[in-house]
Amino acid sequence: MRVFTDSRIEKAERELLAADKPRISVGLATCGISVGGDRVFEEFKRLIEEKGYDVSLKKTGCIGFCKEEPLVNVKLPGKAILVLHRVTPEDVPEILQKVESGDDSFNKVLFQIDVWDHKTVPPISYGQPYEGIKRWQEIDFFKYQEKLVLRNAGIIDPESIEEYLAVGGYRALAKALNMSPEEVIEEVKISGLRGRGGAGFPTGLKWEFTRKEKSDKKYVICNADEGDPGAYMNRNEMESDPHSLIEGMIIGAYAVGADEGIIYVRAEYPLAVERLQRAVEEAREWGFLGKNILGSDFSFDIKIVKGAGAFVCGEETALIASIEGRIGRPRPRPPFPAQRGLWGKPTNINNVETWMNIPLIILKGGEWFKQFGSESNSGTKVFSLVGKVNNVGLVEVELGTPLSRIVFDIGKGAPGGKKIKAVQTGGPSGGCIPEWLFDTPVDYVNLAKLGSIMGSGGIVVMDEDTCMVDTARYFLDFTVDESCGKCVPCREGLKRMLDILDDITKGRGKKEDISLLKELASTVKVTSLCGLGQTAPNPVITTLKYFEDEYIEHVVRKRCPAKVCVELIEYEIDEEACTGCGMCARRCPVSAITGEIGKSFSIDKDKCIKCGTCLDVCKFNAVKKVSRGLEDG
Amino acid sequence: MGRRVKVTIDGKVFSAEEGESLLAVALRNGIDIPHLCYEECLEPYGSCRLCIVEVVEGFKKGITTSCTLGCVDGLKVLTNTPEIEKHRKVLFELYLAQAPNSEKLKKLAEKFGVYSTRFKEKNLKNDPLNGKCVMCGLCVRVCNDVLGVGAINFIGRGYRATVNVPYFEESDVCKGCKACVEVCPVDAIDYSDVGDKRVMISWSNTKVDLIKCSVCGRYFSPLPVFGSVSKKLSEYGVVCDVCPDCRKRLIAKNMTSSGGYNSYA
Amino acid sequence: MDFKVVDEIIDKYKDPSGRILGILEDIQDTYNYLPKEVMVYVSKKLNVPLSSLYSVATFYSFFNLEPVGEHLISVCMGTACHVKGAPELLESLKHLLGIDVNEVTDDGKFVLTTTDRKFSLSSARCFGCCSMAPVIRIDDRIYGYVKIKDLPAILKEYGWKEK
Ligand SMILES: Cc1cc2nc3c(=O)[nH]c(=O)nc-3n(C[C@H](O)[C@H](O)[C@H](O)COP(=O)(O)O)c2cc1C
Ligand code: FES
Ligand code: FES
Repeated sequence: MRVFTDSRIEKAERELLAADKPRISVGLATCGISVGGDRVFEEFKRLIEEKGYDVSLKKTGCIGFCKEEPLVNVKLPGKAILVLHRVTPEDVPEILQKVESGDDSFNKVLFQIDVWDHKTVPPISYGQPYEGIKRWQEIDFFKYQEKLVLRNAGIIDPESIEEYLAVGGYRALAKALNMSPEEVIEEVKISGLRGRGGAGFPTGLKWEFTRKEKSDKKYVICNADEGDPGAYMNRNEMESDPHSLIEGMIIGAYAVGADEGIIYVRAEYPLAVERLQRAVEEAREWGFLGKNILGSDFSFDIKIVKGAGAFVCGEETALIASIEGRIGRPRPRPPFPAQRGLWGKPTNINNVETWMNIPLIILKGGEWFKQFGSESNSGTKVFSLVGKVNNVGLVEVELGTPLSRIVFDIGKGAPGGKKIKAVQTGGPSGGCIPEWLFDTPVDYVNLAKLGSIMGSGGIVVMDEDTCMVDTARYFLDFTVDESCGKCVPCREGLKRMLDILDDITKGRGKKEDISLLKELASTVKVTSLCGLGQTAPNPVITTLKYFEDEYIEHVVRKRCPAKVCVELIEYEIDEEACTGCGMCARRCPVSAITGEIGKSFSIDKDKCIKCGTCLDVCKFNAVKKVSRGLEDG
Repeated sequence: MGRRVKVTIDGKVFSAEEGESLLAVALRNGIDIPHLCYEECLEPYGSCRLCIVEVVEGFKKGITTSCTLGCVDGLKVLTNTPEIEKHRKVLFELYLAQAPNSEKLKKLAEKFGVYSTRFKEKNLKNDPLNGKCVMCGLCVRVCNDVLGVGAINFIGRGYRATVNVPYFEESDVCKGCKACVEVCPVDAIDYSDVGDKRVMISWSNTKVDLIKCSVCGRYFSPLPVFGSVSKKLSEYGVVCDVCPDCRKRLIAKNMTSSGGYNSYA
Repeated sequence: MDFKVVDEIIDKYKDPSGRILGILEDIQDTYNYLPKEVMVYVSKKLNVPLSSLYSVATFYSFFNLEPVGEHLISVCMGTACHVKGAPELLESLKHLLGIDVNEVTDDGKFVLTTTDRKFSLSSARCFGCCSMAPVIRIDDRIYGYVKIKDLPAILKEYGWKEK
């Protein structure tokens, strides 16, 4: 097809390979920007302009190793990509000088990429590897990963459709348009792909439902509401590789017979909206969106709708209500969106990541896709590994990978050698899985067996300093806040559960509270209208199941073993360790600390608001948290 | 009319129209299932959750709300298993704490064996709905979906959500038709007719003019409602500014005197 | 009030999908909150009941019905940030800004504004920067790995003065 021989693509390919001049690309997803990536980029730009360096400066998304950001890719002609980490604006002049003079002894090199498999083209050899520098696959963080969804993230420029095309983009679309819609659906069915939005419904089947509905108008929607706190895969995916999403949606629209698509993005992701907007426009210019796509008689276009801050709008019927300009109150299903969706028309909704898998499945085939993952859980899943873990970041592993691999081999355990107690998966709908069950393979089936869910893919690691009662309380606080208020179990029941947990964390809990909590949890789970209420008790149920002893400690001995629950702890200064520097006293916002410089200081417990400032500022570990409980007064 | 199907409720077989709400079938046949948010004239909403039943044979087995359960041939449900009773009890308790002042709610709960609640009364200081509202949403749906007036709506979300007029300020679109009052299952909405005004007390004292019966002089219908109706009817020469009682009398008189066509609709 | 800007905003949204949310978001971007006169105007112009616009404005946490301070500080209360000490950050910020802890708005939306209207403090649910937890956002800038002891320095960038 003519578009694919456009000379601009060849030019982009040369740029990617830095064939003509060195290429520097700065990781500028929101995560990179928030630790100063934008300042690094600006500094590069300023200096390149000022000194007239012959270097091409690009943006790229995030390769997933968020802990090491800001990341900068430096590629000299003919050589592998060097990935530098924790780069600051001060490092920029030296990097540029070295690039300019062809000196490759860069500081802060984390790893190199000599060959990368974008999957949509044969593996690309980026250049000669350097000696003595680890290849990316040799780094523990990447070793166990399989990058299907994140195939382009952190390598290509997300703001350039040409670069996407240079690595095989939109070829799947061209292929799909030569297939019948039924054949496309069949291929997706063969792949065994399940929806990545949480529930894991088979995608091919869902498409078939929408396909079979007779209607003059159909829609496809991308659910990019990603409301789970602690999960950010979708944000990164959209910011790093928006065209994969768009290509997936076009193929899906063709398969189900839709002519209009909507990407519903949460309000907190302005950069994702910006990049998507740009990508949609580019795709339109290139003829991948609009009328008669690639000369076929299929027409389709996409628009982006921003959410306005409501977790429940991730639920599909609420999401539709929200697009229609109403409050996000879910409605009972059936009818499913496939039967009656947006503006009453058949609508197919999928998650960002679900859509991003589609081009691969079409291009390489469903059978090829099935080689990844485990039985009836094919493919990979991107997880955001965060919390008390050394290597925080986005990891994409095959479904069925044991939790221990993710937490210990990839994540490298908890910082400071602390003991890991549990992970929380699935956000407010999920549960806490204790460390002794970490050999569980992570997939839809096995997580559900433990009372948790896969959810959208957040894995929050908790160590010995995390209080499980507080964690349960935290999630309830979230769901109470985010409940739409339509049905009584979720609206009133969750609040009552929160009240009980509040009491327990404040040392006012009674023994019978625990059984009432269990009773409420069961009713809310069984009788709630939508998935929010049906799953909201999970964090409570699982912590009660695996960590009931912690509840008992709070209730009976009024102690918080992890020293988290503010009402049950006190701050103290260890006289032995205190050097009398007075830092804590100076920084205490309520002047609760007094003492004599050079001697020692102490905290007035009546004044102390337990904000933790003293603990944070003390350089000598003299400030301690203690949880006394009943036994010693 | 749709296809007729057979459904089984608590072991008894009933005939129903395909797709119709199982709750409707049950109620029609004298099977008492508690419900707060269901009204025949409105689409099932599924918010009160009291109408739960257990599906033993059908599309999806397990506990679900009967108002939103469409009848299909061979559907079998139970309305009173121990599990349903257990959950229903907790739901009633939640309601009793949420709307502690509603007598109607108490009666309903008692009918299903729930006499008290283990939960603290919700703090409902200065509640325009008198601590009676159960958030079933019937008033909102009638005002918006049936009448197309849109004077009231939900405000806020979650636990703090309530129903009222925007900004809690007198509404200039409320027609004073009282449909919200009529449809409320727990008598939460207050109003009062004072002289030539109707005051919707719960809706921030929204005031609406009433019209006077041209015969007896009594104030009877809110002007905004009357206005639109009377305009239409007067095109047909129908006289409308007469209260229902006088109208009956007039019709009777008309019939006995002339025996012919009457123009008092 | 000049409604020309509002007319322009409304004209931008022709397609019904996402129209109401889009218009309200743009209005808030323009005025920093949703002024009542504008809501009434939009209601008339779109022929949508005011009650339903008000319902939307109070349902979504993004919308403010009252003006917020010059700089809006949001503390992420997402899970990752929570386990890494976000509650303590919030507590510290309240004290640094001199905001009365008990002054919580009762519409459930948590926005507290300093008396000089320079800063508003609110909590948010996850900015998707969980790897940098704990995270705060001031206006459009996100700060990662925030420590209590860094707060004064960060606030000073926005003209905050130590008392
Ligand atoms: C409370 C709630 C929140 C949800 N949030 C999301 C979300 O943020 N993203 C998402 O893709 N799906 C979310 N879902 C699931 C959607 O309802 C829907 O199942 C999904 O978008 C379907 O896409 P999939 O088949 O590709 O997974 C949520 C569901 C519930 C009940
Ligand atoms: S009557 Fe069925 S949920 Fe209310
Ligand atoms: S939890 Fe704070 S940014 Fe995600």
